[in-house]
Order: sequence, then C-alpha cells, then structure tokens
Amino acid sequence: MANTPLSHSHHVVPARYYHINLLVLALLMGLTIAAAYWSAPGGVVVNNIIAVGIASIKAYLVILIFMGVKWASPLTKVWVLAGFFGFSLMFIVLCDYMTRQFEPANGWVKNGQSAYPPVRPGSVQNVPDNVNFRPRGSGN
Amino acid sequence: MATLAHDGHGDGHNEALHHQFENIDQQNESYVVGMWTFLVTEIMFFGTLFVIYTLYRSMYPMDFYLAHEHLNIQLGAINTCILLFSSWLMVMSVHWAQRGNREKVLLYLGGVLACAFGFLVIKYVEYGSKIKDKMVPGPNFTTDPEKVHGANFNYAQLFYGLYFSMTGLHAIHVIVGILIIAALVRLWWIRAKSVVLDYIPTELVGLYWHFVDLVWIFLFPLMYLIPKPH
Repeated sequence: MANTPLSHSHHVVPARYYHINLLVLALLMGLTIAAAYWSAPGGVVVNNIIAVGIASIKAYLVILIFMGVKWASPLTKVWVLAGFFGFSLMFIVLCDYMTRQFEPANGWVKNGQSAYPPVRPGSVQNVPDNVNFRPRGSGN
Repeated sequence: MATLAHDGHGDGHNEALHHQFENIDQQNESYVVGMWTFLVTEIMFFGTLFVIYTLYRSMYPMDFYLAHEHLNIQLGAINTCILLFSSWLMVMSVHWAQRGNREKVLLYLGGVLACAFGFLVIKYVEYGSKIKDKMVPGPNFTTDPEKVHGANFNYAQLFYGLYFSMTGLHAIHVIVGILIIAALVRLWWIRAKSVVLDYIPTELVGLYWHFVDLVWIFLFPLMYLIPKPH
C-alpha cells in the first residue's frame, strides 16, 4: 500500500466509511419508496416534503462521504455550499408564477404602469378555468 | 495532466507536483476546487429543469400523478440501486488509487463501467416502451386516455416532456461518464504516470460520477414516486 510516494500527504479515508454509507443510502432508498405509498396525514404536501427531505439527506451523504467533502479543505467546502446556495436562489423565480393569480393589480390597470395590457371588460380569454394564466387584453 | 514537472522545490522529490504549485496539498486542492466549479455549473444546468418541474407539478399535481402511473417503478428502482452501487464502486477505486493498488483500481472501475452500461440498457428498455406507447410529447402524442391514466393530455405531455428532457440529459451524462471512465481505465491499464503517480485524476472522474448519481437521487422520487394527491 505504501507504493504511492508522491501523494503522501493526503488523507486516506478508511473504506468502512464507504461501506456504511452505501448501506445507509440503500436503506434510505427503500424508505423513499415506502413513503411514496403512504398517505401522510396533512395531505400530499407532507408526502412531498418527506420525499425531497429523504432525497436531500441522501444527496448530503453522497457529497459528504463519497465525494469526500467531509475531509476536504475549507475552500472546497465554501465552493460546494456556494453552488447549492446559488441553486436554491433559482427557486425565487417561482414567486412570480405563484403570485400571478393576484394580477393585474388595480393600480396597474388604473395608471397603466403594467408592462402588459390591462384586461378589458368583456374580452374573451380562451384559457381553461383551472389554468393559472396571466389574463391579457385581446385586440390591442 | 500533460507533463509531469520534475521537482526541485516544495515537499521533496515529488514527480506529480507541477512547478506552479507550492506543494502537493495546494495542487490537489486546486484540482478539486476546479472540478467543483464545473460541478456547480452542472448543478445550475440541471437546476433550471428542476425549477420548471416544481412549477408545473405544483400547477397540475393530479395530472402529473396520473401521467406518472405509466412509468415502470421497478425499473426506476433497479436503476437507482445500480447507480448507488456504482458510486460505491467508484469511491473504492479512488480509495485504491490513493493506495496505489492498480489491480484493484482497474477491478472497481470495470465494475463502474458495467453498472453504467446496465443503467443505459434499462433506460433503453424504458424509453423503448414509452416510445412504442406514443408517450413522446408532440403531434404524435397518444390520444388513448388509458395510456395517460385519465390525465389531461396537454398536462401529461408536460410531464413526459420533463421526463424525457431530465432523464435524457442525465443519460447523456452517464454516456459521457462511460467515455471518461473508459479513458481513465486505459490510462491505468498502460500504467500512465499521470494516474499512477497521482490519484487526483481518478478522484476527479469520481466526483463527476457521484454528481451523476446525485442527480438521479432526486430524479427517482420526482419522476417515479409521485404520491397520490389526497
């Protein structure tokens, strides 16, 4: 084992960490499947939170143990955190979609500041009832 | 790892150490941070698709649930196991690369390649049955309500559009993974100095492969295990 004289200063992690990690990941995978068929009290939102929660724990274990971030330098850790922080910022775009049902705001219609044409009374909107779609004025 | 600089500085006679680095630790950290920089761009790449998925599933939860029932959960679960196991094989090959055991590195890397091919074969079977059932979004999308299990056809197309683009992009990453792992196997096979003297190339390929596993960890519950809205 001592025939790598060149990278001698790195830390060789004992293989048992990897074995245990694989076992835990397999168990969590089974748990994910079981949780998907369980009608969680509190509605499907709870199911979704559990599913993404377990997936996040699995991802954390893969990053920490398999990708070796647990033993990595502080700079690497900051880099990894920054990556996932940036990823989480992407979800801010959902704020736009989730608030569209409140549009057009009265003020926008009145003073015409909206980038979109206001809805005119009686205009035809060919949009199914259950579609959350920004109503646009037709014919202008 | 083009040329290996002969030392003359740093921490002694280290053939793997390139001249621009102070010591092997600094060099290793630079490589790993560089790889993570690439992986962060990959996270962003897949991230947009996950945001789109979150948006449309929150808009049409029932249609996504009904449309997803046509997917084969068993095959998805087998693929999850294959990727988790291949991640373990990969980390073991890095482990033995650090200890300089060429035979074990080759053994484990061969296992990773076998898993990657197994994953693609299962994906091929899955895609084949979906294409046969006309589940590919577009003008030829199925008009059979049984195929989408009663979901609205437009929203079912949204689901299958996301299914094919996300798992397809992931499959492309698996194929790229096979290519770079095969290149790494060749380097180990011919006892190339760049991998034998320095475990970092093996480590970086490993980081990429774990990332591929990471994406699937989220894809599996999001695509195959949508809970019934209740």
